[in-house]
Amino acid sequence: MSQENQAPEHSCSEHMGIFTIPGELPLQGAYRDMCYEPVRGNIWTASEGIYRTIFLEGRSSVIAFDTFGTPGTARAYAGAMNRVFPRKPIETIVYSHEHLDHTGYASDLAPEARIIAHEYADAVVKGRQSDGQKPADEVWSGERTGYEIDGCSFELIYPGPTHGDGNVAAYFPQHKTLFMVDTVADGAGYTTLMDWHLTHYVPVMKRFLSLDWDLFVPGHFWALSRQRFIEILDYWDRLSEFAQKAIIDGVDPHDWDGLNRYTDEHLGPLYRNEFRYGEYAAMNLYRYMQEHLTGGWGIEGNLKPDLSPL
Amino acid sequence: MIENRGMFTLDAAEAYLAAEPDLQVEALSDRLYTVSDGTIRTVFVAADTGTIAFDTFGTPGRARAYRRAIEAAVPGKPVHTIIYSHDHLDHAGFADDLAPQAEIIADDLCARVVKARGAQGQLQPTRVLSGPAHDLSIDGVSFRLLNPGPTHGSGNLAAWFEDEKVLFSSDTILANARYGFMPDYHFRNFVPFMRGFLELDWERFVPGRYELTDRAGFERGCDFIEAVMTECQNAFQSFVPIWLYEPMQAYVGDALRERFGDLDGFDGHIGQMAIRVVHHYLMGGWGLEDTPEPRALLADEVPL
Repeated sequence: MSQENQAPEHSCSEHMGIFTIPGELPLQGAYRDMCYEPVRGNIWTASEGIYRTIFLEGRSSVIAFDTFGTPGTARAYAGAMNRVFPRKPIETIVYSHEHLDHTGYASDLAPEARIIAHEYADAVVKGRQSDGQKPADEVWSGERTGYEIDGCSFELIYPGPTHGDGNVAAYFPQHKTLFMVDTVADGAGYTTLMDWHLTHYVPVMKRFLSLDWDLFVPGHFWALSRQRFIEILDYWDRLSEFAQKAIIDGVDPHDWDGLNRYTDEHLGPLYRNEFRYGEYAAMNLYRYMQEHLTGGWGIEGNLKPDLSPL
Repeated sequence: MIENRGMFTLDAAEAYLAAEPDLQVEALSDRLYTVSDGTIRTVFVAADTGTIAFDTFGTPGRARAYRRAIEAAVPGKPVHTIIYSHDHLDHAGFADDLAPQAEIIADDLCARVVKARGAQGQLQPTRVLSGPAHDLSIDGVSFRLLNPGPTHGSGNLAAWFEDEKVLFSSDTILANARYGFMPDYHFRNFVPFMRGFLELDWERFVPGRYELTDRAGFERGCDFIEAVMTECQNAFQSFVPIWLYEPMQAYVGDALRERFGDLDGFDGHIGQMAIRVVHHYLMGGWGLEDTPEPRALLADEVPL
């Protein structure tokens, strides 16, 4: 357990991530039912209803992408894979990116597994020292790399800054399937687009349209068609313009009631029926307003990435 | 478009960018002043022959209004030095409109972000500082610039005016609760870094927004952020649906109203703060800035 994150009086029996409050932290160990289903070929997907990931059936083992976000859900994920492939242990974990809610608990999922991550994700994992999150055993660099593991073929692609650090897609050209976490998902985006690098986000994501796929598996909720992927990116493009108009119209992004009124008046006619519109459209607009008011955030939010086709 | 546009791409932004509001100037000593447009706040110093301006305000029009306010307060002392408190355009985006010939001083990381961004109107710093503390003496004025580590934005510099017993730190601690969703805050070390400023001898605190406060108000601001961070963890572990505004506002607001409900803006902002802060614990912080030994990922990709 990381000394940095361990309160002296801490009595939590689970890995505790970066929590600092004392006590048992009941959420950490809570069990969640996990649903799972085949996708295409040797690709399977698992979800507890909100988060989603994929796992691959190898010849003698399972390759798990991500870990879910608590010790309890990591164990439920391991149980799901064991139920589907009872004689095949999890020998490999691939990190989509470094956030704890997706990759925070390899220690609970499969502590002996070999972990693969992009170098940017691994740098943050090592720096964070979060209890339960393990650094990578194999780090890769650059934009693309191919893997052949236990009979499973896939490519990992880092398209440029999108969300978090070292966020990579898994591309299965033989199955025309793309998996990427916390970038495109159906409906309005999640809250205020936490740790998204918005300045070049849409053009970076559009690079994937140069690849041959027709099924996109996101890190939340359900799979999308290629057309729906394009429509979601169009939402973000239009939101950038709406945000500028909101600033021009004198909306204070910190005025929650005023922001909601403006959102409902201007985005509502176009997007009111979208999934989670009522929960998040105003927060989405807020984040894009900040992008125009403050500029992109940090180095990741301002680097000018390669936008050529992949 | 005639005006420098920052990050705006719509031509319709012209009028917003050009508007020149009246700014309110208040003298903090015979040479140190604070100035605000009602939301954003900064400081400037009348040096022997010219003016040292911290920041630029967030549009070309506001930058020009800032210049006029300085000229009215200290006539005959044009701005010869600009110091960027941090990289964000709403504070430091328009040196080109404030004083295009001025020397611009900024932290190393701030300068790299400014260069990577390339926003129209935000000029590149001409003097870059690295490290946590710098005693500067410019045109007869002495003060210390401090960067304790990531707090808000990139390369955020506080300024300590020892003679005036004044501390200026932009978009960190506020005198009220109007933090909104706390954009680009780095929470891992925020409170200890801010409390570090209490080791210095100062009596008045000038924040980057809204009203001034004193040492006790600053310390209470640190207590408030710390309490929000604790209650967000409690909400998380109490199975509050952390991704929803109303439940988070209710849980954290109810927990903290007795201690901090008198802070201006508490009820309107505590839900926004809670949504942001609880995600620090969900996700683990953002980037290397939010780690026990913070630094910036990919900074070397932007050579100065």
